[in-house]
Amino acid sequence: MSVTTFEALGGRVALQLPVKAVTVAVVMAVTIAVVLLWSLMTGSYELSPPDVWATLMGDAPSETAETVVWEFRFPRTLVAFMVGAFLALSGAALQYVTRNPLADPSLVGVSQGAALVVVSVTILAPGFGYYWRPILAFGGSLIVAAVILWIASSRRGGETLRFILTGVGVASLISSFTSALLTYGDIDRALTALGWLAGSVHAAGWDEVTWLAVTALIAIPILIGASRPLSAIRFGEEVATSLGIRVVAARWCLVGLAVGLAAVAVAAVGPLGFVGLVAPHVARRLAHSGVGMHMVLTALTGSLMVGLADFAGRAAFAPIQIPAGIFTAIIGVPVFVILILRTQARSQL
Amino acid sequence: MNAKRTLFTATGLWVSLGAVALAFMWHISVGAKAIPLEIVWQALVSPEEGVFDHVVVRDLRMPRAIFAISVGAALAVAGALMQGVTRNPLAEPAILGLMAGATFAVIIGIGWFQLAGTAYVPLFAAIGALGGGILVFTIAGAAPGGATPLTLILAGAAVGGFLYAIEHAAILLNEDAFRDFRVWLSGSLSGRDMETYLWALPWFGGGLIAALVIARQVTALAMGEETAAGLGVDTVKIKAVALVSVVALTAAAVSIAGPLGFVGLVIPHVVRLFVGSDYRLIVPFSAIVGAGYVLVVDIAARVVLAPIEISTGIVTTMLGAPVFIWLVRARL
Repeated sequence: MSVTTFEALGGRVALQLPVKAVTVAVVMAVTIAVVLLWSLMTGSYELSPPDVWATLMGDAPSETAETVVWEFRFPRTLVAFMVGAFLALSGAALQYVTRNPLADPSLVGVSQGAALVVVSVTILAPGFGYYWRPILAFGGSLIVAAVILWIASSRRGGETLRFILTGVGVASLISSFTSALLTYGDIDRALTALGWLAGSVHAAGWDEVTWLAVTALIAIPILIGASRPLSAIRFGEEVATSLGIRVVAARWCLVGLAVGLAAVAVAAVGPLGFVGLVAPHVARRLAHSGVGMHMVLTALTGSLMVGLADFAGRAAFAPIQIPAGIFTAIIGVPVFVILILRTQARSQL
Repeated sequence: MNAKRTLFTATGLWVSLGAVALAFMWHISVGAKAIPLEIVWQALVSPEEGVFDHVVVRDLRMPRAIFAISVGAALAVAGALMQGVTRNPLAEPAILGLMAGATFAVIIGIGWFQLAGTAYVPLFAAIGALGGGILVFTIAGAAPGGATPLTLILAGAAVGGFLYAIEHAAILLNEDAFRDFRVWLSGSLSGRDMETYLWALPWFGGGLIAALVIARQVTALAMGEETAAGLGVDTVKIKAVALVSVVALTAAAVSIAGPLGFVGLVIPHVVRLFVGSDYRLIVPFSAIVGAGYVLVVDIAARVVLAPIEISTGIVTTMLGAPVFIWLVRARL
């Protein structure tokens, strides 16, 4: 890791800057901006870059441009970016806490737990407040996470592949309940729920942007505070304890955070698979860095992944929209396979 | 085998066959119009032309019960063979990618080659099952530590997720061609016709016969490869036959009912509790118990939320996933 140290006031103020990681982060942020611009331009109503800029600045060239950008494309793209960042951070936190490179909210059933709750509310109590959705989803996925950790930890500690296998079982169990609800429900509501279940961003609007922004405001300070315990937990429980970390408290806090991020993301757009699995690993490939910088890179990678998946799903077979979840799975599975091939199965058990 | 044991086995055989026969008639009697069991019996034994209930039983309801029996027997036997040959308590066509491969191939066959209802459906399913299984075993085998239950299941989940995503996209892009297959995709016995079944029948028969023929050698293989070789078993040949049998059974089941998860996992474990580790007993009993299980599950799927019908595959997953979780805890 290449590190440049900046010092001021004779070394009293010092800042270590991992140059490569920062460069990568800047490049990715620029790429995200380009993708944003591009997805605001593209669609059945094409806009030129200056038009998009003018519309965003409040000086739209036409009524249509104003509606298309502000009502549809802009919130949708923002939601895609934020959801990507949330899922990626959730995956990274789970991977650190369980010390398991394969942990991912959608693989272990956390996303499915949120999905089951949201589908139940959509079908059984459609009048129930829309704004309660993320909170209910959080409740659902928290229960699932607690169940999995309880089942997996009862014999040989939580940090094993057993955790993932239990999660795979729980995920398919919960999905079957969700599917049963879909058959039971009223056909129109079931169809709404079905589109949402495939992980599609296209229905997202400013409401979702609001939830996600509020969650981000709560979660980001916690994550910054957590980067120190996380970097200790990475080396194992004993090391962390001897460094003065309250491991159990830190672990539950981080699991709660990971679950919360995933739940809110799922409540907004449905269960998008594999983002939480892939983004942390890609971020680590791009630049080695400490936990804090790795989190930043992970969030950017996740944003870019879902942003591109949504864009591809919208543009590739237009006018048919392919849910972003399908593209994230198609990108994510090969990475998953590579990870299986690299994971030392025996050392994990 | 001593006399007491033989008696126990014989009694078990007759009791379970009787239970399946009863479940078969119960399955037929349940429906939009309940038909009493004695009329079902009359319709099966001595049907009379022109009696409305007899026509309903024979033409409308009996096919579905036959599908349930065949699919249940096929999946349970496939699961038993896979668990025996790979010595993996969690082996099953759905978990190890065979079912995902078969489903994917059928979707491709229907969507791109308009094969619905033809003899090619089971063939496509078989090619897909073989491909999916080989892919999963290749990935798991290349992982450090080799094809352990853990790596196999992870590889199965990966291949399943990938194929599911592509299927989903294919369906969205060509909704018309798949209108009738939405339900099939979640694992259902409704909507198939006798013609499709007849095309799948040779695959069922061939797979079951092959499984019964190699059952004795599978018992040896389940004790370990060296033991089997020491007992004079041609392990390569038996494994090849087992693979063909599993692929044929999975393909036949998928082409009728779509992906029914966890049947092949649950049944052999239940059967083993009663009959021990001899595959000459496990294979036939798995077939019988599997048939009864899918019959009962299919009754539940139709009755619980009547008049709405839940897909059979959803119910088998609800019942099977807890068993899977328990096995992960207890056996790994």
